[in-house]
Amino acid sequence: MADQRYGICGCGRGRRGALDSLVLGLVNAEAYALDAEATATRPGFLQSVDPRIKVLALVALIVATTATRSLVVLAALFVAAVALALISRIGPGRLARQVWVGVLIFSGIIVLPAIFLVPGTPIVHLPVVGWAITLQGLRSAAFVVGRAETAATLALLIVLTTPWPHVLKALASLGVPAAAVAVLGMTYRYVFVLIEAARHMMEARRSRIVAPLDGRERRRMLMTAIGMLLAKTFALGSDVHAAMIARGYRGEVRLLHDFHTRPPDWVFLAIALAVPALILGLQP
Amino acid sequence: MTATAFQFDDVTFAYRTQRALEGVSLTIRSGERVALLGANGSGKSTLLRMMDALCFPASGTATAFAAPLTEAAFQDDATNYAFRRRVGLVFQNPDVQLFNPTVSDELAFGPLQLGWEKPKVRDAVDTVSARFGIAHLKDRPPHRLSGGEKKRVALASVLITEPDVLLLDEPTAALDPASRANLVGFLAREPGAGRTVVTATHDLDIVEDIADRAIVLAEGRVVADGPVLAVLHDVDLLRRTHLVFEHRHSHGGPPAGSHGHMHSSRQEG
Ligand SMILES: Nc1ncnc2c1ncn2[C@@H]1O[C@H](COP(=O)(O)OP(=O)(O)O)[C@@H](O)[C@H]1O
Ligand SMILES: [Mg+2]
Repeated sequence: MADQRYGICGCGRGRRGALDSLVLGLVNAEAYALDAEATATRPGFLQSVDPRIKVLALVALIVATTATRSLVVLAALFVAAVALALISRIGPGRLARQVWVGVLIFSGIIVLPAIFLVPGTPIVHLPVVGWAITLQGLRSAAFVVGRAETAATLALLIVLTTPWPHVLKALASLGVPAAAVAVLGMTYRYVFVLIEAARHMMEARRSRIVAPLDGRERRRMLMTAIGMLLAKTFALGSDVHAAMIARGYRGEVRLLHDFHTRPPDWVFLAIALAVPALILGLQP
Repeated sequence: MTATAFQFDDVTFAYRTQRALEGVSLTIRSGERVALLGANGSGKSTLLRMMDALCFPASGTATAFAAPLTEAAFQDDATNYAFRRRVGLVFQNPDVQLFNPTVSDELAFGPLQLGWEKPKVRDAVDTVSARFGIAHLKDRPPHRLSGGEKKRVALASVLITEPDVLLLDEPTAALDPASRANLVGFLAREPGAGRTVVTATHDLDIVEDIADRAIVLAEGRVVADGPVLAVLHDVDLLRRTHLVFEHRHSHGGPPAGSHGHMHSSRQEG
């Protein structure tokens, strides 16, 4: 059960309750996962690539994104990521909704101070406070945001174009330890069950409670809810394991589907691997 | 003289400190259709899990097809493989049972783990999904199905390997009346053909249709074992084991019309 000493942060008072936010987040995750199920089975370029190749290639591009020290190269990688999305029938609207806006807000909060704090050539002075925005500050902010956006877009492309069990099988065949793959698989699948549990808890709570709660009550409720969810997750995990064993599972997942590598896949991989190699090789 | 499927002698089991089975002795012969009755917490699920070699006796002995059910015996791949081919368990909670991304993958999971060749698995998936009326669901993710559909997929995913023994944990729990009737009809006809079926339930209305023999559990002990009708007519026993409750209520009209009678306690568990 959750330890109530952790409920001292005071958040949630006067704002939307933390439990509601938690559930809202989970519900969004569900809608998002459903979207992924639909796009992964649609015909498109990345959908047709052998998942093992795809994971390797996109990870290589992510490495390139974090390695480059040129804004032009970063911009080119971003354009490449968007192009890959388009030929895989994933529109910019979806990317904007599912990654760009969120990442921009998140990384923006982190880099906003840098715009003013990095010393350098001032390009504009804010009225009233008189703070200077420096060229160097803008540049470093652009790097942080650009890297985060590009890497997140590339990572999302793996998930949006590959049925989840294929991601798992690909990771396993690329040497990722079985235990890590199993945990990932379980997490993805049981997010749905936990969402349901959270939703039921919310509804039960709503129907029981007439008067608004004070902050302390709310935090107590949130901690209880999280404790219940954890206990439930654990129980589910061991039950699912039992259900797998009952049907003959001995630690190795077997799928009906076999992976096939076609010649264009190798070309794609070669290009993707060349990008970080070139960047790292040419950079001083 | 038919073969013995399960033989339990003075078996006990506990989850840490929580006792679940106490001195359970019973014999189930091949081809029998048995109902395990008992209130919530009486040990039905634990007994089924033990019959499926998912937990093992803390004391006493249990055998399946004359082979011992012990943790040590199941370390051996060949023993495990032979057992999993013969015995299938449908869990009460279909969300536990259905962990694959699509219904097809779900159906294929058991046969693939048991090492069937892929063409044979594909054929079996087609056959079983037609038989269970779930062919139209094959590409759907199981967690998006209705309760009744989930139950059918779970049942199909176990029966696809044609096990000799089918263990069912509360198959009608949480089903709407139509799905429930549908499932009971299916259980009454389909498993048939010499298959041993053990069903844990406290849904007394279905027992007659799906079993010939009833074993009643209370607090981890076997308190009755006999032909279904004899057990169902022992009102005293059913009341003592909280399988029925007396309930005073009125069927409309003035208070004079109120009367006491028995209701089966079909709550979820
Ligand atoms: N995973 C578990 N951990 C601890 N106790 C458990 C667990 N599963 C069942 N029990 C306990 O064991 C007893 C028997 O439970 P169970 O076999 O599930 O009964 P039934 O299926 O008849 O409801 C109950 O007292 C229950 O609380
Ligand atoms: Mg049970």
